[in-house]
Amino acid sequence: MIVAFAFLAGMTLVSAMGVVISRNVVHSALFMSGSFLGVAGFFVMLNAPALAAFQVLIYVGAVTVVILFGIMFTQKPQVRRFRTILNAQRWAGFFVAAGVGAFLAFILSIQNWGATSSGNGTRGVAAFARNLLGVTQGSEIFTLLFEVASVLLLVAVVAAIVVSRRKTGEGVDRGVEE
Amino acid sequence: MQTVLNLLEMEPIRFFISFGAILFLVLNLAAILTMAERKTAGYIQLRYGPNRVGPRGLLQPAADVFKLFTKENVSPGRADLWIFLGAPIAMFIPAAAVWMVIPFAPNAVVANLNIGILFFVAVTSIGALGVIMAGYGSHSTFSLLGALRGAAQMISYEVPLILSLLGVIMLTGSLSFVDVVNSQGPNFWGWYFLPQLPMALTFYIAGLAEVKRVPFDLPEGESEIVGGFMVEYSGMTWALIQASEFASMGLMASINVTLFFGGWQPPLEFLDLGNFNWIWFGLKTALIMFTFQWIRWSVPRLRMDQLMDLGWKILVPITLVWLFVTAGAMLVF
Repeated sequence: MIVAFAFLAGMTLVSAMGVVISRNVVHSALFMSGSFLGVAGFFVMLNAPALAAFQVLIYVGAVTVVILFGIMFTQKPQVRRFRTILNAQRWAGFFVAAGVGAFLAFILSIQNWGATSSGNGTRGVAAFARNLLGVTQGSEIFTLLFEVASVLLLVAVVAAIVVSRRKTGEGVDRGVEE
Repeated sequence: MQTVLNLLEMEPIRFFISFGAILFLVLNLAAILTMAERKTAGYIQLRYGPNRVGPRGLLQPAADVFKLFTKENVSPGRADLWIFLGAPIAMFIPAAAVWMVIPFAPNAVVANLNIGILFFVAVTSIGALGVIMAGYGSHSTFSLLGALRGAAQMISYEVPLILSLLGVIMLTGSLSFVDVVNSQGPNFWGWYFLPQLPMALTFYIAGLAEVKRVPFDLPEGESEIVGGFMVEYSGMTWALIQASEFASMGLMASINVTLFFGGWQPPLEFLDLGNFNWIWFGLKTALIMFTFQWIRWSVPRLRMDQLMDLGWKILVPITLVWLFVTAGAMLVF
């Protein structure tokens, strides 16, 4: 168990460092997928396999792929080194990161972790779904939030269609000549 | 003897042995499928196919593997070497790992995850990452074009693929492949392909696109971009890409069988073979794989716009409509 934890922690942290350090945007994105996979491994260790599967499906399978897709479409593929543009802010970034790290370390150190163990969380998908959809006599706030999130996604999809739609009269371009 | 068997059933040992067996099966499946592919092509085109090595050419895969092992592994001079070499691994591991959750026979499953279907969807979605890595790492225009096509295609067809699973999930009330198979009757009219016929067809087509086979082989596109994302690969790295393609093709066929064609359930009740029901599973999966190959040698490639139209304007609406039909039927009956 401790070996698995050390492996996952190392994978997550080293990949996260790689995201920041690497000079190549594509490398950063790939390191990010490694970091996401490590987090998914943590979810498995915490007896939440459904969360792990969603983590892999959404973050590794969709977010990273779309980011890579975007990088490749917007940059010239012949240019090997995509210089990152944020290097001017490295000292500000360092102080923010150090501050957040110190704050998190403080919070984690004053928390009493005695009563919490990995087995106390929601175990099964069924219980998770019941909580989410408010089927049992739980709080129904999660149902409301769930519905609000789905409406938000619907709005985003419709907005994407509106933004990307060509105005009539610009000619029928079906992308065939690519 | 009994103690040995008990020892083998203990948890980590059982898992590692059965996972090794799965890996053995997947690698051999890839080898056999290359052979079957060429034989099918031969018979469809009225010729023999490979027939020199061994009886009726049956040892051809062994010769192929031997050749590929001894071949030099060339990589382009300005390739991004880590990504270039990591891509085949990133494609093969997901294709092999999902086999863990497939029930081959009653009680014969490596890991009966209660989120099996979700696991399948999540892990196969990593495959797109491998395609992009191969295309970018090769530092070649053809590769990059193939990778962009592949990423667009795999992201688009994931939507109808996932939506077409929802009908079965609603009918079963479970995400576990074992439960899905158990809830389909031992006769063929109890299988889900009858009440879920549009979903089954959508899953078949979307699966075909997801594993990048003809008529959806735009990422490879032999006649236009000479090999797409795998154009720069040679030797064993190329073999690993091919192996992962064939492994995911077999995987898609077996998931088709598990979800819609009863898994290991016999087609008629009196044909039940007990623990040997994996024969039914194998026969059905082989039949689906044969239809994949049959399609490959009969149908021309789609254009990119036709591909997107098919995915977004036909398959997604079909699945949404049938989702409502299924929900309504479950509400009424």
